[in-house]
Formats: sequence, structure tokens, C-alpha cells
Amino acid sequence: MNRPGVRKERLQGAGLDAALPYFMLAPGVLLVLLVLIYPLWDGLRASTMFYRFGNPVRKVGFDNYIRLWSDPQFLNSLWVTLTFVASAVAIETVLGLALALFCSHEFRGIRLLRTILIIPMVVTPVVVGIVFRLIYASDAGMLTAFSEALGGGAVEILGHPVRAFVGLVVLDVWEWTPLMFLILLAGLQSLPIEPLEAARVDGAGPWRVFIDHTFPMLRPIIAVAIVLRTIDAFGTFDQVFVLTHGGPGEATRLLSIFGYDTAFKFQETGYAAALFVTMGLIILAFTLAAVRLLKRAATS
Amino acid sequence: MIRALGRFTIVAFVLALVLLPIYWMASTSLKSNREITQEGTLYPHHPSFENFAHLFAYKRFSDYLLNSIAVTIISVLVALVLGSLGAYAIVRFRLPFSLERRVGLSLLILRIVPPVVILIPVYLLILSLGLLDTWLGLIIIYTALNVTYCVWMMESFFREIPVDLEEAAMVDGDSRFGAFRRIVLPVAAPGLVATSIFAVIVTFNEFMFALVLTSTPHAMTMPRGTATLIGRIDTDWASMSAAGVVGALPIVLFAFLVQRHLVRGLTLGAVK
Repeated sequence: MNRPGVRKERLQGAGLDAALPYFMLAPGVLLVLLVLIYPLWDGLRASTMFYRFGNPVRKVGFDNYIRLWSDPQFLNSLWVTLTFVASAVAIETVLGLALALFCSHEFRGIRLLRTILIIPMVVTPVVVGIVFRLIYASDAGMLTAFSEALGGGAVEILGHPVRAFVGLVVLDVWEWTPLMFLILLAGLQSLPIEPLEAARVDGAGPWRVFIDHTFPMLRPIIAVAIVLRTIDAFGTFDQVFVLTHGGPGEATRLLSIFGYDTAFKFQETGYAAALFVTMGLIILAFTLAAVRLLKRAATS
Repeated sequence: MIRALGRFTIVAFVLALVLLPIYWMASTSLKSNREITQEGTLYPHHPSFENFAHLFAYKRFSDYLLNSIAVTIISVLVALVLGSLGAYAIVRFRLPFSLERRVGLSLLILRIVPPVVILIPVYLLILSLGLLDTWLGLIIIYTALNVTYCVWMMESFFREIPVDLEEAAMVDGDSRFGAFRRIVLPVAAPGLVATSIFAVIVTFNEFMFALVLTSTPHAMTMPRGTATLIGRIDTDWASMSAAGVVGALPIVLFAFLVQRHLVRGLTLGAVK
């Protein structure tokens, strides 16, 4: 005979256990829904509205998007962003790989190098912007000080469009090559040694070993590192905000800065929202394409 | 011999490239504005800490530092709790429609979206909640951003723990949640530490949301406060460089202390 009390207790236990995963997931998921997912949807909605002085006036459908793709300022900003990301990531990959290869054999001093290389990655990005302003400034800058110490004149970087852009790329390379280096070094150290040793025994030089063996084995890790870094570089904001705020003219005006100015300086909220939605879609398309390519490469 | 010399040269060259910019900021912070702009010295001829004293006495830097530390600690702690709970549910339970896998994947996809994409709606949200220029406004968004990261990291740590441990505890009379709290969490403690380190660094350094969500020393964080020093016409290099040193020092020291755990976080778990 079943005593109702015991049975109820057991049922209750089962019921609670069945509900436990939902209770565990709920707080985090609810917060993310409110603070990340809802804003994504809200941004989508805002992008179809016309705003005046920060207040929605009327629905305009896709007008903001149509305006976006015929706006020379946006197209220039997109071009600046793409060239910035491409050049910075390319340089970081090459330098990071070279440094990782150089460090793949243990030697004294490598620990010091790895420790020091952490600094650029963890320093507050705003401060990185300040660091490079202090280097480039024509009056107080390090370049000017060195140039004057050697008998030259003041060096002008941030007032010149091309030099300011190069200066921004140099900043990013300084800040993020260490990350490339660390990822690729870990990748190199995880490779099997036998094929490399065998090739070396067969008389292959270091360059041949790298081209025929190391690089093919390392390729998936290089690809992942490039994808991670590209996604990250695409959203660069803090450093540019401090270094040039997009100037001189529009020479370093990345999409993030253009969008920020459009929204918070010129109060064109709907137009800026359309810009940010477009930006999100570009990075999403890039990531999906990259993941598909990586998967295909992994299976073949 | 030549090989060793070449190696030494390369290492020295790389170290110089990394450290020279830092040296320049630190040395500038010890100079007077006159020495910086007019004399252009390569090292401080009359080093003084006056710039730093000025920051704390007149520029509210103690407020910024306090705000940063409070907001960072609270949001990382809350995100660790919410993230561990969620990650455990994703790793250990099978829900209808693979719900737990879908949640995990959605959180990962959210991490790809550059935060700048939701800048405007988050501003509107915090505005409508009446939380502009408060700690709570910052804590809400920072916690949410950290939750996606904590779930992703803690998932991989929980996966490494054998299920037998919890089963043994439950045979001994623990509830499922009791087993999680008393057995799994302590075993995953190193994972919690590793996860929180990266979250702390990213949160302490965050600037963009702080820029639009705060406007007075009441809630401004360190990076946000530092940016107030950047004038359009006249740049106060002495204050700016000192602010850079004050902003960077705590996080660099912290990173050195915990560098063992750092790489995994920086690479989103791609490198262990």
C-alpha cells in the first residue's frame, strides 16, 4: 500500500529535479534576453524609423538603408574600415607567425619575452590610444623628440591623412601582434614533432620544412586566429576615439566612430541604427563564410 | 655563438618595440607640461609626481577608480554565478528540442556581434530604466556581456569533470543541485578563476558603453574619466600621460600576477 505522503515527496523531488535545468538557465538567459537580444531587435526597429532630435517621428521602411548605400561618407567609412582590418590583421599574422617560429625552440629569455608581450594586450585600449598620441604628437611626441635629438624637425603624423591611417594600423599591430604570437606559438608547440624531424633527417632545409610540413599543419590554427582577430578589429572603437576621432577629415573614420557620431553627436538615431545593423550583418556574413570554409577544409 | 647573438638581438629588438611606447608615456608623466612641449627632453630632467597628485586632487581620479573597481567586481561576480549555473545546465542536462544546446549556441553567436552594434538600443534601454549615470546601469550591461563569455568558458571546464563525481554524491543522498554546489564547483574552481581573470580585464577596460551611459564622476569609470582629459584644442599632455599610467598600472600588475591563466581567456578558449 502506497502511503500518499511518501509518494508525494518523491514526486515533488522528481518534479523539482526535472525543473532544475530551467531554473539554472533562466537567470542568465533572461538577462541576456533583456540586455542583448531585445536591443538587437530594438535596433532593427529603430533602423526603420526617422528620428528628429533623438525622437522617433515616423516609419520609413528601408529608406535609411537605401540612403546608407548612396552616402559617400558611409562608403568611405566602410572602405577605411575594410582596409584597416585587412592591413592590420595581415601584418599581425605575418609578424606573429615569424615571432612564433623564432620562439618555437625553448631558449633563455623566452619567458621574459612572453611576459612582456602580455602588456600591450591588457593595457586599457583608451590608454593605448593615449600612448600613441604621445608618440605621434607633433609638439610633445616621441617621434618629434627623437627627430629633434638627431637634429631634424617636428614630425607630423596625425594631421596628415595617409600617415594618420598608417599610424592607426601601427597602433593595432603593436597592441595585437602579441595575441597572434601566443595563439600561433601554442599551435606550433602542439604539432607532432616526428614529420618535421623526418624531413630534417632527409636533408630538408628550414625553409622547405616550413613550407612542406609546418605551414600545412598549422593552417587551421592560423585561420582561426585570423577569424578571431578580424571580428575583433572590425569593432575597433576606443583607440580611434582617443587617437584621431576619425580625423583628419575622414581618413581614420571607422564605421564604429561614424555610427557613434551619427547617433550621439548628430542625433540621427534611425540612420545610425541602420548603419550598425548593416555592420552586424557584414560581420555575421564574414563569420558564417569563414566557419563554412574552415569546416570544408577540416573534412577534406 | 653567432646564432645566440642573433637571437639576443631579435629578442632585444622586440622588447624595445613593446616597451618604448610604454616608457615614453611613463617618462612623460613625470615631466612638467613645459618640459614636455618646449624642451622635448628624452627623459625627465626634474622628475616629480606632481601630475599624479593633480589627477587625484583636482580631476576626481579617486572617484573613477572606485567606480571602476566596484562595477567590475560586482558584474564579474554576478556573471560568474549566472554563467556557471547556465553552463552546468547546458553540459549536464538533456532538454526537449535540444533546448540547452540551442541556448549555448545562441550565446556563442552573440559573442561574435561587435558590442557597438547594440550601443544605441542599450543606451535607450538604460535611459528608459532611468539608470543613466549610475553604477547599476553599467553593471547590467557588463554582466550581460560577461554572462555569454562565462557560459562559454565554464562549459568547457565542466565538460572536463567526470559525471561519476556527482553520481557518487547523489547516491550519498545529495540533491542534484547539492552535488553541483558541494562537488562540481570546488573541482571547477581553477576554471572559475581563469574565467574571471579575463572578464575582469575586459570589464575594467571597457570604454564605449561607459562613454554613452555615464556623464559625471558619480558613475564614470577609469577609461571614461581618462577620456575627459582629451581636449580638442589644447592638450594637457602631463595630466593625460599620468592618467594613462594610473589607468594601465592596476590592470598590467593584475595580468602579471595571473598570466598563467590569461591566454586561454584571450583566445576565447581556442588555446589551452
